[in-house]
Amino acid sequence: MTDLLIIGAGLTGLFAACTAARAGLNVRVIAQGAGTTHWHAGTIDLLGYLPDGRQPVANWMQALGRLPPAHPYRLLGAASIANALDAFQQLAAAAGLPYERVAATIDPHRPSAPPQPTDREDDSRGHFTDIAPGRNGQLISPVGAGRPVFLAPQAQLAASLEDERPFLIIGFNGMTDFYPALIAENLRRQGRAARSAMLPLSRLTSRHDHNTIQLARLLDQPAAQEKLIEMVSDTAATGERIGLPAVLGLKTHTRLLAKLHQACSARDRRNTLPGPALQSPLSLFEIPTLPPSVPGMRLDASLRAQLTRLRVRVEIGMKVCGVRAAGRRIEWIETETGSRPLRHTARNYLLATGGILGGGIRGDRCGRVRETVFDLPLTAPQTRSQWLRPLFLDKRGHPVFQGGVPVDTRFRPLGRDGAPVYDNLWAAGSVLAHTDPIRERSREGIAISTGFAAAHSVAKGQ
Amino acid sequence: MSQDSPPVAVMQSVPPNSVGISLNACIKCNICVSYCPVSEVTDSFPGPKYAAPQSERFREFGYPYFQDAAGSNPPAPGRGRVPDASVDYCSGCRVCNEVCPTGVRIAEINARARARIVAAEGLSLRNRLLGRSDLLGRVGSVAPALANALLHHPLSRRLAAVLFGVAEKAPLPRWHNETFSRWLKRTRSRRLRSERKVVYFHGCATQHYEPFVGMAAVLVLEHLGYEVVVPPQSCCGLPLLSNGEFSAAETYHRRNVAQFADYVQAGYPILGASTSCTLTLKEEAPELLDLEGDEGTQALKRNTWDIFEWLRERENQGQLPADLGSLNNGQEPFILPYHAPCQLRAHRIGKPALDLLALIPGIDLRESHARCCGIAGTYGLKSEKYQIAMDVGAELFDFAAAQADTSDPAVQGAVSFTACDSETCRWQLEHGAGLPSRHPIELLAASYGLYDLQARQPLNEN
Repeated sequence: MTDLLIIGAGLTGLFAACTAARAGLNVRVIAQGAGTTHWHAGTIDLLGYLPDGRQPVANWMQALGRLPPAHPYRLLGAASIANALDAFQQLAAAAGLPYERVAATIDPHRPSAPPQPTDREDDSRGHFTDIAPGRNGQLISPVGAGRPVFLAPQAQLAASLEDERPFLIIGFNGMTDFYPALIAENLRRQGRAARSAMLPLSRLTSRHDHNTIQLARLLDQPAAQEKLIEMVSDTAATGERIGLPAVLGLKTHTRLLAKLHQACSARDRRNTLPGPALQSPLSLFEIPTLPPSVPGMRLDASLRAQLTRLRVRVEIGMKVCGVRAAGRRIEWIETETGSRPLRHTARNYLLATGGILGGGIRGDRCGRVRETVFDLPLTAPQTRSQWLRPLFLDKRGHPVFQGGVPVDTRFRPLGRDGAPVYDNLWAAGSVLAHTDPIRERSREGIAISTGFAAAHSVAKGQ
Repeated sequence: MSQDSPPVAVMQSVPPNSVGISLNACIKCNICVSYCPVSEVTDSFPGPKYAAPQSERFREFGYPYFQDAAGSNPPAPGRGRVPDASVDYCSGCRVCNEVCPTGVRIAEINARARARIVAAEGLSLRNRLLGRSDLLGRVGSVAPALANALLHHPLSRRLAAVLFGVAEKAPLPRWHNETFSRWLKRTRSRRLRSERKVVYFHGCATQHYEPFVGMAAVLVLEHLGYEVVVPPQSCCGLPLLSNGEFSAAETYHRRNVAQFADYVQAGYPILGASTSCTLTLKEEAPELLDLEGDEGTQALKRNTWDIFEWLRERENQGQLPADLGSLNNGQEPFILPYHAPCQLRAHRIGKPALDLLALIPGIDLRESHARCCGIAGTYGLKSEKYQIAMDVGAELFDFAAAQADTSDPAVQGAVSFTACDSETCRWQLEHGAGLPSRHPIELLAASYGLYDLQARQPLNEN
């Protein structure tokens, strides 16, 4: 029998599935559609803004105390979140998609900091040198604004705004929704040296327009890679770091990045005066794009590959249409099929269906906001006039997006009486109450840390 | 499109339907685009989002898309526009439906658009013939040896390619020397009589090309103690639906509804081993032909099962005999790459064959995550689409080859077969991967000691 049935195949569901399977549980994942990981920037954002804050959060660990007491991060505490992130980093590295801290972990301005090690590779890794655990870094957004991020895949690290090197933002004529001139101008307004350039797509392909996936698939091919390397190294000046749209391949992007870096450093060496060869930091980075997001797809593919290895089945296209509860236990759930409903029975159920964006929460035109699977009590306002504040970009966000499923410290959904509704139902991710993950820039952090905690709660109860 | 386009016969009285209305749920997230296996390999198909929800909104067919308490928008005048021909490059694999997080019936929107092209512009002789698998089967079964010699002669294949556009290399089946019905008749005295009865829907492929799949199904069902009733039946109509001949498909479907009505009334389950036939009876015919309100259609839909979906229910009830034996005398693990065809995934019943094959002692199941084999019924048989189908299938062929890779130390033992529930997919899989393929029911029958997997015939009878 299935120990844990996870409903939802986004980052929350898939990471919880990995966690539970590694803890020895028999796990199955079902979901209505593919997860919203395809919409992610591919970074792990922990906490970028406080609910009422205008300034980005510099250090999420130090900011936890300023979150509402019922916020999922407050239920977890910094140590649990850090454990979950460690587990995620190990898993991603094992899947060939390593994630690293964006912020430098050594502060050169503090006299107490240990001397700068000679090998730069070690800077971001050794936790014993970490003088500021929880420190966020800043990457750049698709329009060139600063974006507080905690962990990023290797391909995005060189965008860090702590780095002083000048930017060259490169785009492609014919690629939709990516505007290098806008990004560069925004960077200049922030006092950065930045310029932009457009490369002709006609050098890579005979097609006139391309979306992100088509370009990424093209750039998985060696011939297109060679041409891109040539064009990029011809365009960049010595000392510039180069931002490209996140389309550098779905399967082989790390190799392409290494080759691009090599080509640019080789050219730099030719152009500079003879002297000791310096190990230059990575000079290229990807900027996330509008969906379909290639970095999000890579993350999704890596998690799926891990689940295949763990023999966890993920079944997509399953929409829950019925639930049977007896007392304080969920007995089964049913999903729609081409004919009769299909029954799924498990010892435990984890709700990882997401918020309004992911489909875990729906509002109707009468103002009622519902949790879509178990119809659990929500904290969201049930009157349409109270959903939204008058200003679209209100810094405090909108009440309807902060609403969700309230849980106890073991991540069991709570009823109106404040007690768990069911003994074998758990919830994690964006469906949770007292957080507004998109506004807080905490979406992936919430997904990973609560998915990890819920999976461990289930495992402990077995 | 110009105003001079010829007037189009618009389908009379088009009621509000779930397919059309579902396009309003599209949020343009592009997940379908990132998964579509066809638009990945060819520019002839612009992708599911563009071909279906986006284009459909601008087509004039008099559909009342907007329906609420205030009523629906008035139908457009009785003159529509012919959809763009690129929609014909949709293979109908339904991967888009599967991954769509908001439940848009993308593949069905495309199938309807194709039917409108056919209604306006007529149909080629080739598509007319390919849609009539029933007729082709019956003609060839008169003299199977002669028909095979004629059809499979290289010269005839060349001619068929030049004259009709049937791809020369495409995997076409061979007529069997005895139809499934004739085998049933010949072995009537040995067939089980029982109070417990099931009805079997054999479909065209089992009737004319692969009667042994039906034999395996009958043997397994009898082993469970069920009498198998096989009433006269028609083609399910799917080949006609996917070639845009909706009115002919409706004739077939209505005939089936009438032929099965008494059995449905008596509560007999209608089982089929061909996943695309059962899907058509359950959902495709009712939806595409606007028969969702038809009582007979609904009753047939409710009683139709994929054979493994039904067997899994028996297993859940503890009614599946446990005398399953090893498939290779327990010599070594029996490695079986299994591909759940997209037609099966469209049932949304999970992967029941995978659940049951796992019960066979010594089996080492390898689950394919390939999206589609490419063939999509008759799609890959057409000259202009053959290469697309092969390119789509490459993902699956590579998977099968990797399982059989003897240079890989993780692979222990030889791979003798692949398994797949759909006949056209098996033919494509054999064609592309060069390994014999079997229906899971053949494997189950063999495991019960009833069937010769190599010779594809029942054991202990003739």
